[in-house]
Amino acid sequence: MRTTAQALIAVFLLTSLCFSPSHVAARPARQASPPSTSAAQLRHEIDAMKQQLQQMQDKVRQQEETIQRLSSPQTPAPDVSTVPTPHEEQFKREVKEEIMRDIKPSLAAANKTFPSQFNPAIGFIIDTVGSYRDHERGNFEFRSGEMGLSANIDPFTRGYAIINGTPEGLEVEEAAIVTTALPYSLTVKGGRFFADFGRLSKFHDHDLPFVNRPVVLDRFMQGESQGDGIEVSYLAPTQQYLTLTTGMYNKIGAENERVDNLVPRDFSQFTYLWRAATFLNLTDNNSIDLGASYAYTPKVKIDQGGNRHLAGVDLTFRYTPLSQASYRGLSWGTEFLYNHENRPSDGFPEEGTESEEPLHFKPRDAFGMYSYIEARLSRRFYPGFLFDYAQGIDRAKGTTAYSPYLTIWASEFQRLRLQYTRLEEPGNRENQVFLQWTVALGSHVHGFRDR
Amino acid sequence: MTRIALVLLAVLLMVPVSLKGADRKIQAVATIPDLADMARNIAGDLIDVTSLATGVEDIHAVPMKPSFAVLLNRADVVILMGLEIEHAFLPALLEAARNPKILRDAPGYIDCSVYVTPLDVPTRLDRALGDQHPVGNPHINLDPVRGKDMARALADGLTRNYPEYEATFKKNLDTYLATLDAAIARWEQEAKPLHGIKLVSYHPDMLYFAERFGMEAVGTIEIRAGVDPTPGHIAELQERMRRERVGLVVRELHYPAGLAETIAQSTGATLVELPAMVGGVPEAKDYLSFIDYNLRTVLKAVQKGT
Repeated sequence: MRTTAQALIAVFLLTSLCFSPSHVAARPARQASPPSTSAAQLRHEIDAMKQQLQQMQDKVRQQEETIQRLSSPQTPAPDVSTVPTPHEEQFKREVKEEIMRDIKPSLAAANKTFPSQFNPAIGFIIDTVGSYRDHERGNFEFRSGEMGLSANIDPFTRGYAIINGTPEGLEVEEAAIVTTALPYSLTVKGGRFFADFGRLSKFHDHDLPFVNRPVVLDRFMQGESQGDGIEVSYLAPTQQYLTLTTGMYNKIGAENERVDNLVPRDFSQFTYLWRAATFLNLTDNNSIDLGASYAYTPKVKIDQGGNRHLAGVDLTFRYTPLSQASYRGLSWGTEFLYNHENRPSDGFPEEGTESEEPLHFKPRDAFGMYSYIEARLSRRFYPGFLFDYAQGIDRAKGTTAYSPYLTIWASEFQRLRLQYTRLEEPGNRENQVFLQWTVALGSHVHGFRDR
Repeated sequence: MTRIALVLLAVLLMVPVSLKGADRKIQAVATIPDLADMARNIAGDLIDVTSLATGVEDIHAVPMKPSFAVLLNRADVVILMGLEIEHAFLPALLEAARNPKILRDAPGYIDCSVYVTPLDVPTRLDRALGDQHPVGNPHINLDPVRGKDMARALADGLTRNYPEYEATFKKNLDTYLATLDAAIARWEQEAKPLHGIKLVSYHPDMLYFAERFGMEAVGTIEIRAGVDPTPGHIAELQERMRRERVGLVVRELHYPAGLAETIAQSTGATLVELPAMVGGVPEAKDYLSFIDYNLRTVLKAVQKGT
């Protein structure tokens, strides 16, 4: 390599030397310089060439050193099989966490693509009661096996259904479509559902705070406030929570057999409802829910044109200490109901005893109420007391009941309840004891309606 | 009278529209104060955020107040910790709030767990195993490193809804994460005496805290998550604590005091009482001071025990 470089340099110099005189000789004759100037120039050029030669020799030497270094045997690499340092471990962990962070949304999305993910949430409630009454003696009452289904339907609606199996048969207790995307905080509900009247009328039997529905609700509402119809609800744009609801139904009352649910009718024969409900946050730990409801049937279909008014006020006070909400608390719930309607002055005739004489209707007022108080002593034990009073719809003497009870939550999904009731009604005074056992399987939803 | 009623109705319907203005702050509702604090750090003056929980509650038992529905009705975004931890109150409140912008998986639904890899994901869902956390242990706010992931998810959620403020959110997030990083480095250094210490907690919510600071969560006073202990379970737990030399009993402040104290005394462990959220004690006024308080309290308890 060194010999080749030197040869090239020599060729370069010879070529330069050959070139320089001819270059000098090529100068036009008329520009010929004096002999001393030519020699100086030549000396200058030779000095420049010497400088270039030195630079080239330096470059050749550097290249040779580089070649020699690269060509020499490799020194052994440092041993990397030592234990990773804490810094490397930390780095590996951070890289892993970064990768997991980035792919986690994709993994979660992949899980959601299975077809079964579109199935509704399904839950099943089993409610069974053992009872003993003075007059009717003992009985095991299978109250209900209730399946609940719920799902979003599309970006605009959700649906739910409650299908209830009882000793009387299978029934669609609720099946409703509810809007989720209307403007102005409106919600429209249609189908079969519990009308927005009062508070406990909207509770399924197994969700009640006690074993049996209060007498006033059984008598005036006739079971849950079930209705086939449509309901519109509005959340007012105020700082104060206020909802306004209006609805139209064939009838209200799951066991209301006085009105036929299946026949067409005039607008005057539907039942109309209005309700206003608000919430008062007294302190962080104390609050009151307050509501007023009014249901009006201009012409009760079977009552020869008699109208019916049912009004109610409901109040629920809650003490829920925020830091101990699972273990301490107190609830006091009360509803007052007032019924005004035309009733036959001698009452409706018994089936099979009807005569051709027209019935004489007179307006009848009836009043009823219930009030209960329930304490939360621990996560498991909820003792309570219920007071019932309700007049007969036909202004018969009232019925009174007193029911202390104890609810035991074995877990969030299993509940036992022991209740004693002293019932006092015209012609009957009775002691009753109930042991209720209720469980929930499957999907579990904390509903706003049932709070 | 009908005319007056119609006019009043028209005014009522117009009120929400007339309140919306170009300079209106982002109205946010966070489920817990930890997220509200992070939101303020990330969005600064751009956001007005309210927390549904005050910090003293058991997050599984936050009351479902109708007044929360009013807050959510007006919210532009809802910020939640996720992993189904808010299942006892948030789904029903979102339904009552009638605000399509913040329904589940809508743009305004900001789930802060999306970048977190949870621990303790059940391989089988069965109620026999208690009130399981079906997608993994959700108490991620007790780990400041996962807190960083929560902050990132929060910032991304805000950016998704307000892309015009992306630069501001990013800048503030970077500053906040840098502050958290410095604090984490300091905490990990300070937590060295905790390495290998075993603890029992009332509920399985100390898992992430224990993992971060080198401790080992070996059991819970609850027989299963959400199920109060039986005498048999307490006896077994005490025996196990003696056998494995468990040094700490952690009582989260929203659980009953007496039982945790009894178990600590009978096993020779040290009782330590901790908040589970920002605001759970007065000293835990923001996320950094919340983690700081928990770590210092545990360190003091361990030092007292030795």
